[in-house]
This record gives sequence, structure tokens and C-alpha cells, in this order.
Amino acid sequence: MSDDPTTEGDGKLIAAEYVLGVLSTAERRAVQARIAREPALRAEVEYWEQRLGPLASELKPVDPPPRVWAKIEATLAADESHRTLWQSLPFWRWAAIGSAAVAAASLVAFVNLARFQSPNPPLVAKLESSSGGAGFVVAIDSGGAGLTVVPAALSDVNQRALELWLIAPGEQPRSLGLIEAGRPVHVSVPAELIQRVTPLSTLAVSLEPLGGSPTGLPTGPVIASGKLTKL
Amino acid sequence: MDAPVAPSVAAAQDAARRQLATALARIAGGDQQALQFLYRETAAKLFAVCHRILLDKGEAEDVLQEIYIAVWRRAGAFDPNRASPISWLVAIARNRSIDRLRSRAMAARQRTIDEAADVSDSAPTALAQLEISQEHRRLMDCLDDLEPQHAGAVRSAFFEGATYGELAQRMSVPLGTMKSWIRRSLQRLRECLER
Repeated sequence: MSDDPTTEGDGKLIAAEYVLGVLSTAERRAVQARIAREPALRAEVEYWEQRLGPLASELKPVDPPPRVWAKIEATLAADESHRTLWQSLPFWRWAAIGSAAVAAASLVAFVNLARFQSPNPPLVAKLESSSGGAGFVVAIDSGGAGLTVVPAALSDVNQRALELWLIAPGEQPRSLGLIEAGRPVHVSVPAELIQRVTPLSTLAVSLEPLGGSPTGLPTGPVIASGKLTKL
Repeated sequence: MDAPVAPSVAAAQDAARRQLATALARIAGGDQQALQFLYRETAAKLFAVCHRILLDKGEAEDVLQEIYIAVWRRAGAFDPNRASPISWLVAIARNRSIDRLRSRAMAARQRTIDEAADVSDSAPTALAQLEISQEHRRLMDCLDDLEPQHAGAVRSAFFEGATYGELAQRMSVPLGTMKSWIRRSLQRLRECLER
């Protein structure tokens, strides 16, 4: 066993440190991103979750107020419609008819047009929360100069802003600006980022202070993310 | 399933575990009543976990709500062969609470640290000891093998979701010392748990 903290910090212990909860925001986010791609790390995290979990029984249970279950039930009811929506492939048509959203409608028109007219299939992304719930649907303008973000599940953002990020492989997240939980938004992609709008890149939405991240990098939790895919 | 003549704590724990696993399987199939059952059985425990980390009733309620909605949406990810239902749920609760805690502004964080210092960490009572699962007892034995101060840091990290920096500050040791305490403890825990 090595006593050098720098080498101990890498490798297998990172999973234990993550589960224990001692990592900083940035480190946690890095581990969360790796868990999605690295089954070995994921297994290691699960190992520690199972081993440390029983400690929680040392806490005295606290009954939550009844309103919590009431809110869960209400969300479930609203979820039902989304669930079926998501499971059906012709989501785009549903979006057009269902949510009188003009942007969503033009999105469908764009997707259909692009599909028939362009040799390059259009790029779309479904941004899901880590819990698997769909959060946003994104369609990219041909050429990658802009994109339309349609919120799929209404979430209460609680006095915070939603910021959209483009993450090219091996690079830091780049902000694409603020979006909204309640309506579709069209976002322009800065010229220098257009080349990075490819199926190798990931889009993510984080919760930020009102006005957006003060640092230029995500500072709040990532509530949804997804890869760009060809339609 | 063969029911023991004299019901033991272990058998009762086993039965509870199976019930929760069954509920999760039914939830994955879209059974809302199963979710309600799971909530009834586990919400008080998870609420305690969230509240201990967040030290804020309102935020703990928000996170609790998110947890069961997440469970509703991804109960299919639970694998009874690889995880105990309650540890799986506790992991979701801790992850979400810690992510929420980290997203707070620094000022709010500082307040939380100060409050956290005032809440003593509960060693289990004698009565609770009776109900301790085999896995938990094993973990406690392994924690007991650590230096008391190191074990204390591990517990604080687990219950409060405190970072290395916060733990170092609270226990008045350099950051590097805290890191090596925790890392050495984790390594020793692993060796002990696998013995």
C-alpha cells in the first residue's frame, strides 16, 4: 500500500471517495461522467454503495410531511402522459400537435424537410436526467449554427437558471447560453463552436444561479444530458 | 421459502428485503401501488438521510420527492442479485442530497458546516443494535478497527456529505492529512470487509 496521497487518489479509491461523499463538485461531476462510460468504475461504485449503505440505519427515521407523497402522486399523474409520449417514436408529430409550441412545430417541419432534402441526416439529442427521465429534446439546425431546445418534462427550477452546455470529446463544457424549463428556445451556436456540433459531442443542462454560471463552467448539478445522434 | 419456527431478526430482515425487491420489480412494471408501499416502508429512513446532509427541512422534502420520482422512472435499473434494495435507495438519496448540497452558494455552505458541527453523530442505541443487519455489524466492526479519529472522519463524510476540505477545517488538520486519513481508512475498510 502506498502512502503517497497523489497516487492513492487515482484508480480504485476514487469510487470509494465518491460514494463516501468527500469529493468536490468538479470531482463528483467527473466521476459521474465516467460512471456512465466505464462499467468497471460503475461496479466499484456499486460495491461501496452496498458496503457503506447500512450505516444509514444508524439515523433515527424522520417521518416526512404528507405533502411530499401528494406531490409525488401529482408528478406521477403528469408523467403518465410523457411516458407514453416518449415511448412512441413519432414524438415529433406529437410535440407539434400537443404543445401548441410554435418552435416545436417548426422543428418538426425542419426535421422532415431536412430528412428529405439533405444527404446528411439532421442531428437531434434527447437530454435525459441521470434518473432516466427525459428532460429536453434538441434539434440542431443544418450546419450546426443553431439549435432548438424543447423541454419535455416540466421541472421546477426554483429561482435558478438552466444553462445549456456543449461538451466535445476531451474538452471542457462550453456554454451555449440559457434555456427555459417552460417553453422551447432557439439558441445560436457561436461560430467557433459550430465544428464541435457532431455526433461525438454531448449536450448537458445544468442548474445555475439566475443569470447563468458566473465562472464559464457548470457550477450547479447537471439535470439532463445526452449525445447528439443522427435522426 | 421455509419459515423458521422461532422468527429471528435475520429472517425478518430477509423478508423485508424481499418485499422491497418485489415492490421495485412491480414499480418497474408501472405499478403505482407498489411505489406507495415502497414509500411507506422507506420514506422516513431516506428523509432522515437527506435531512442529515442538507440540514434543511424544505430542501430535504424536495430531494425526497425527487428520489421517489427517480425510483418510479428507473426502478428497472435495480438488480436484486447485485444490490440490497435499501442500500440502493440510500445511495440515490445520498447522491442527490450531496449534489444539492454542493450546488449551494458558499455562504449557505458555511452556515451548514457550522450547524453540522453542532449535531452529534449518533452511535446506535442498544435497542437499535438489536436490529442491526449482518452487513452493518460487519461494517461497524471494521470501522472499530480504525483509529477513532479516522473512523469519525469517515462517519462525518458519510452522514453529512462533507468534502475533504470541510472535514480538514472542522478537525483542524491539514488537507493532505485528512486525505490520507480517509484514503487509508477506505483501503483498510475494504481489506477488512473482504476478509
